[in-house]
This record gives sequence, C-alpha cells and structure tokens, in this order.
Amino acid sequence: MEIEASASEDTGREGLLPSAPVCEAGKKAGALIVGVAAANAFNEYVPEGHRPEDILPGAQSVVVAGNQGPTAAAWRSPDHRVMEITGYDFRENVAVHVMCDFIEREYGYNALQAPSLPTAGHHPPMSMMLAAVLAGLGTRSLAANIILHPEYGLLYYAALVTTLPLEPNHVLQKDACPSPSCVQMYEKLGTTPCLASCPKDEGGCLEGEIDEDGRISYSSYNRERCHSRSMNFGVGSVQKSLVDIVAEEDQDRRKSMIYSDFFSQSLSSLSFYKESVAQCFECMRVCPVGQNHKRLK
Amino acid sequence: MSEPEAELDFELAKQQLTEFSARGGALVSGVADVDDFAAAPEGFRPQDLLPGAKRVFVVGGSPPRAGDWVSPKHEHQETMGTSDRINSLGLKAAKFIEASFGYYALFVPPGVNKGNQPFLSVALAAELAGCASPSLAGPLLHPKHGMLYYSAIVTTCPLPIDGRAEPACPAPACLDMWEAEGTTPCMKVCPIDDGGCLGGDIVEGRFANRRYNTARCATRVHTHWVPGFQKGLEAALDEEDPEKRKMILYSSFFTRTLWSMTYASQSQAQCYECMRVCPVGAEERTLR
Repeated sequence: MEIEASASEDTGREGLLPSAPVCEAGKKAGALIVGVAAANAFNEYVPEGHRPEDILPGAQSVVVAGNQGPTAAAWRSPDHRVMEITGYDFRENVAVHVMCDFIEREYGYNALQAPSLPTAGHHPPMSMMLAAVLAGLGTRSLAANIILHPEYGLLYYAALVTTLPLEPNHVLQKDACPSPSCVQMYEKLGTTPCLASCPKDEGGCLEGEIDEDGRISYSSYNRERCHSRSMNFGVGSVQKSLVDIVAEEDQDRRKSMIYSDFFSQSLSSLSFYKESVAQCFECMRVCPVGQNHKRLK
Repeated sequence: MSEPEAELDFELAKQQLTEFSARGGALVSGVADVDDFAAAPEGFRPQDLLPGAKRVFVVGGSPPRAGDWVSPKHEHQETMGTSDRINSLGLKAAKFIEASFGYYALFVPPGVNKGNQPFLSVALAAELAGCASPSLAGPLLHPKHGMLYYSAIVTTCPLPIDGRAEPACPAPACLDMWEAEGTTPCMKVCPIDDGGCLGGDIVEGRFANRRYNTARCATRVHTHWVPGFQKGLEAALDEEDPEKRKMILYSSFFTRTLWSMTYASQSQAQCYECMRVCPVGAEERTLR
C-alpha cells in the first residue's frame, strides 16, 4: 500500500500516517464508528501499567471501534428480560481484529486487541472508556460516567494498540452530556432524566450538578449499588451463588439452589449465547442523546 | 417544506433482506404473520416481545457439515457447535432491517427466559415462515437441507408473508419402509417402546399419533452444557469423601460440561441419531 506521511503538531510526533484506510477497514467489518488516539495521550490519565506502551512496547496509536448493542426494538420490548439477555454480535471486537490484520498485513506494523476484561480485582488492563474519549468518539455523562457519542448515545467499544503512527482524532470539544433538553430540565426542576430515574438520595445510584455554562460541574455515582443492579447475572452472580450453595448444609435446599432460575440464568449468562451481562438500562433508557436512532416505525 | 417520506416497497425490501441473509450464510429464510402465532400461549407471542409487531422473519442454516456427519468419532459432532453462526446472522438481519427500512426489528434472544422457557418458539416461527415443516423425529425439516438451525426476528415491518411449507416428512423412502416394515428410519433407531424416544404411525402418507418422550430425549441430547454442570455440581457437593469429590470435579464429564458452556461454543446437543438416518437432506450430507 502506498502511504503518504504527514506531521501533526498536536502530539509532537512526526511521520504520522492517514488513519482513513484503517478506519474504513473497521467500518467495513461492522464498526459503526472508528476513531484514533495517540498512545501517549493516555499517560496523563492512567497510571503506569495501564498505558498502551505497557501492553505493546513501542505503541504509537490506539484505534477504537464503537457499535450499538441491542436494536432499537429491544429497547421498546415490554419484557425486560429481552434487554437483560439480548445477545451481542460483538462486531466492534470483530472490527478491531480485522483492523489488526489489516495493519499487520498491509503496513507491516504490530497490532493487538487492547485487553478490556478485568485481570486483577475489577480493573481492566486498559480502559475502553478512556480510549473512546481520547479517540474523539464521546464524552463522559452524568449517568454513571457512561461514554455518550453525540449522535448515537450509548455504544460499546473495543480498541487496538499498534506501533503504526496514525493521525489521531481530537477529543470532542463539545460535551455530549448534558444535552440541551437536559440543561433545560435541570434549570426548571433541578434534575435531569438520568438523575431523576435513579436518584442517589432515594436509593438510586446517580447524583450530579450542571453549572451556568450548561456543563457538568459535579457528578457522582454509587458504584456498588449500580453494580448490584446492573450485573445481576454473569461471573459475579455465579460466584455469589456458589458461596451460598457450598455453604448450604441441607441437601434438598442445596439442590433447589443449584437448579433455581437464578443460578440457571447466571450459568446461561456465562455461556456461549453471548448474553448481556448488564441488566439495568434505566438511566440510558431515558437519556435523550441518541434517541433519534431509537425511534423507528 | 420537507419532501414526504417515500413509501417502502415491501416486496423489494423482502428481496433485499433475503439476499442479505443469503450472503450472510442463510440457506433458507421466510416471513411469518404474527397473527398466526395464536397457538402459542400468551406471553410467548411476537407482540409480547415487541408492541406493534407485524411479522417474524426467520433465517435458517449452519447445520453440521457433511464431513461432521460421516466422522466415525462421535465425540466430534457432540462438541462441534455450528448453531451460533445462525444467531449471529439473526442479529445482523435485525440491524439490517432497522438501518435499511426504518422499522423496529427485535432479534429473539436464543437463550431462555424464566423456568427454562424460550422467549418465543423459534421452531414455530420457522414453521409458520415456511422455512421447514415438523417431522416425526421432532426437528423441523427443510425438504432439501433437512435439519437446520434457525434464528427469528420480530419486526414491525409488514413484509410479504410466505406461509407454511409443504410437509417434508415422511419422505418417500420412509413411506416405502413403513409399508414394508411398519416403521421408519428415525423410529427404528430410537423406538419409544424399546427404551427410545420416538413412536407414531403413518396414515394416508402423513405421520400421525406421534409419541415423543421429551424427558428421555433431553437426558440423551443435553448431556453436557448448563444442566450437565448443575448435575455435576450437585453430585460433587453431595459427596462427603474429599477424594471422590475431587474425582467428580476433575472428571471428563464435568470438564466437558465446562467446555460446552464456555467460549468454546460447543454443541449443546449430543445425540443426532434420528437425524443421522433421516433421508430428508441426506443428499446434502453425501459428498466425496
């Protein structure tokens, strides 16, 4: 492939290459959006051990792919279990692998999928949220810091780390959250749709404030409470159940626990159906960002 | 003033969707009317999953390969899962409908809801969409491809309906066998009155009085996967001897249940004997 090098003043890096061919390869593979961050842009925000350079020596760029999970119809289903269990196609992960192949094959640079699952405690080796922000794909929201894309709202992200020096995107200059309608609501009612749907002071998870400029001035969320509601099934619930099951001395009670709906569904969520591991979408259900893409015929 | 929205050509839309599905690996596809699901209990109908639902689009394909069927190693087909490919296509088709036609499309989750009940019977959907027809053995049969895996998408898009397909079972060869021996290949391989799961008659060229031992079949077909794990765990915890307990937890059976549940995408079904002898689709399973 013919490559024309350019320079970028943003990062002080020389010989940056156009990112468009890589991004196009990702979109062809099913990514809705693709963005690029400079690998060294992470250094300001994350501790050593969690930076692209720690994952791939000589890392120059992080390419991030975003995709929608459930369809608009799934959001409308009156059966809440549909959203709880809806399988993903993980196209953003597929797109990342396709882009890795593309980079290694066409450019001859190293590329790997950025590890995003927890490896110690609940901490992933690399933050996909930060990667999405630095790649200019979205900004943090009042709703549990979920990254919102200004056009599509909630998306799922995967990333790759590469030694290929690509032209990076800019961090978004305009926040996706709060949206204009949320600012108006805050001015009138002192709350926003997400804060109202899950208020921290009334047993919910979210708390926040918007300043005179219409920007988030303060936000907080109760991670433990949110986790216990949004991660009912999955690895955590299997562990929780096992603690109870192993500790139960009564054989009949133990049997009912093993064959219970809860444990069966927890096991099913681990299985190859690629079921959702998040069961609460209420703050996102009321979020106006990206709603246009959820309103169909 | 903005231009009025052009009316969607539903015939063309269906053609595009069919072509998209075929490119994605579907061997068959079809459209069912939601009103035809009246036989399903309330709570398990398309409208219960998606208000305003009008149609159910079904894609079928990703059967075991011809090579899988002829492998002398039975463990091979027991562990080679192919059905997840059709689920991936189902979600893609749902996204295609929403992105291309602007109508809601809900991919029916392939997992189970409470009480091990599916959200909607995908088999019924495939039958009503004309993708296949019921068989004496149980699985739906397509006249050319035989047993396939299916995925269903509930949509508000009023695509043209296909309607039911002509019965593929019993096949002419099975009718001949019934006349000669009073049984068919599937009933002979797994006779319900001789420790098996299947029974029935053929009356005027159609199967009738079908008998099927669901519980027995389930214990043979679903020996691994989530229920296998639960069974193994129960046995392990009931065992008081630590050495025996250790053997249970490290046994081949328990190890296979763990593999079958996890990312290896192994097959959930371990018995294919009634389908192995079925003449419907046999040509597709016969190569050089």
